[in-house]
Amino acid sequence: MDDAVILRTEGLSKTYGNGPEKTVALDNVNLQITRRKLLAVYGPSGSGKTTLLFLLSGLDKPTSGRIYFEGVEVSSMSERRLSRLRRNSFGFVFQNYNLVDELTVLENVMLTMMFEGKPGAERRDRAEELLRRVGIAGKERRRPSQLSAGEQQRVAVARAVANRPELVLMDEPTGNLDQENSQQLMRLVTEMVQGEGTTCVVATHNLEIVNEAPSKVVLKSGRIVSS
Amino acid sequence: MTSFSLIRFTARGIGRRPVRTTLTIIGLAALILTYVSVQSLVSTLEINVSGSVSSLGGEIDVLKKGASFPLFSTVPVSYTNTVKTISGVSLAAPVAVAQMTVDNNQAVIAGLVPSLVPRMLTYTMVAGTMITSNQSGILSIGKALASTVGKGAGQTLLLDGYNYSIAGVYQTNAWMDYSLIIPHSVAQQLIGWVNQTSMIVVTTQDPRTVDTIIGQIRTLLPTTDAFRTSEAPSKISPIFASLEAIASDITIIVSLSAVLGIMNSNLNNLRERMRTFAIFKATGASSSQIIRLVLYESLLIGILGTMLGLGISYAVLNLVSIPVAEKINVAIILVPSTFIYATLLAISVSLAAAIYPALRIARVRPQEVFRFG
Repeated sequence: MDDAVILRTEGLSKTYGNGPEKTVALDNVNLQITRRKLLAVYGPSGSGKTTLLFLLSGLDKPTSGRIYFEGVEVSSMSERRLSRLRRNSFGFVFQNYNLVDELTVLENVMLTMMFEGKPGAERRDRAEELLRRVGIAGKERRRPSQLSAGEQQRVAVARAVANRPELVLMDEPTGNLDQENSQQLMRLVTEMVQGEGTTCVVATHNLEIVNEAPSKVVLKSGRIVSS
Repeated sequence: MTSFSLIRFTARGIGRRPVRTTLTIIGLAALILTYVSVQSLVSTLEINVSGSVSSLGGEIDVLKKGASFPLFSTVPVSYTNTVKTISGVSLAAPVAVAQMTVDNNQAVIAGLVPSLVPRMLTYTMVAGTMITSNQSGILSIGKALASTVGKGAGQTLLLDGYNYSIAGVYQTNAWMDYSLIIPHSVAQQLIGWVNQTSMIVVTTQDPRTVDTIIGQIRTLLPTTDAFRTSEAPSKISPIFASLEAIASDITIIVSLSAVLGIMNSNLNNLRERMRTFAIFKATGASSSQIIRLVLYESLLIGILGTMLGLGISYAVLNLVSIPVAEKINVAIILVPSTFIYATLLAISVSLAAAIYPALRIARVRPQEVFRFG
């Protein structure tokens, strides 16, 4: 196995529904993701980008095919092991942020660390440091809904990297942001990849991101058409 | 994740849903109030009825077979001597019980053999002395009844239309405080009995022989029923067995209603927060962590509801009394075990109502929630 490869897929397919209503979201996707690199997954809406990210993170199960993370098959893992993987090794940034509005910004960032069982002081320090780094310092006590879209997405990024995961998956992270906020966010992601050695997979239809990414794949109708 | 972190996290969470939390807490408090009220009512009646027998002392009571209460029992006084002949019996004393007019109030009076009173009752004299002879026209009165009629030692009162001098006021901290004591022979005259009494109170030399002696009394005196004094409530009045059953039924029905009501509230609440739990799962929470989160939340609400319910129950029941006779009210007796059981009940109800919702929410599939809402 190539040590440079952190995650790979073999014949990954996902279909929804049955019979005439069957929808093929992903069809025989073979992918290798290189460690400490940013991979852009480009494709139009409905091309299967979100499905791919959900499968890679273990949030969804493939209809067929296999996913290997660090050489270990993820697709057949128990729910318990998948939870541990999502907690420690994966970070996920959702298109619509998926922050918990019942919690403060600080608590949102502390969430994964709390599930991991890190001590209160440690998770608070780490969350405050991350919020400073993403430019949200001073707004820790606010609710996510009291922040702008760009700020919410930066909080989501802070939460995703809080447990120092090896792989961060981002689903259209700039989809709801203006150009300035998009650029700011991608600078942050680049810093993260270079500074903390994190591997990033960014699903996007933003060509600017794709052009700047060191590696890319293009999805169309659930198939990789270019890489 | 430590339990402490979870509890702190949960505590903050429930504080942010004040309406739902408050309503659930009030619901649980109402459950506790219902449970404590019903149980305390039954306990009070039992303790008082039991007290009307057991506070007369003894380990064994002998009543007429089939009599549901000492007031409805008559046995020949000569039976007392028969019981005395049984080996191991240290005391057999006749007791005449009757409801009479005391000044303008109704009260149950006890006719006792004066020389046996110190061996039968545990009492302290608040004022004056206990009756010591069969002299007519004197009585000793219980503290609560004395307070009701507004009389004290040295004064006179009307008992069934006759003037009696109050020799003293006693306190037993039992039902006898709502009664008065006159000599047994005087009670017989007032009731109009010749060689009759209501019941016989028996004390044994060795408590281990109680059952044997009960068996012998039943054999020797087949027209009577003998039983342990501690079994008095259910033995002397089948009504109490029914009351206990009704109290249990009410508790079961109210508890089930509470479980279903709170479970429904929990399900609705969790359904509204489905996205939150999906995010928790997506960010690494395990199913067991989510189950614990929901259970802790319910437990915290349960504890708050219990504290409120116990406080309200204590305050309300301290103000309530049960009318047992005209113008005579008995204060509700608050038994500590009722409060302990109420706490266990409320906590159990809270947890039971959270188990199914917790298991359901733990099965949430984040990708479906994020896709379809």
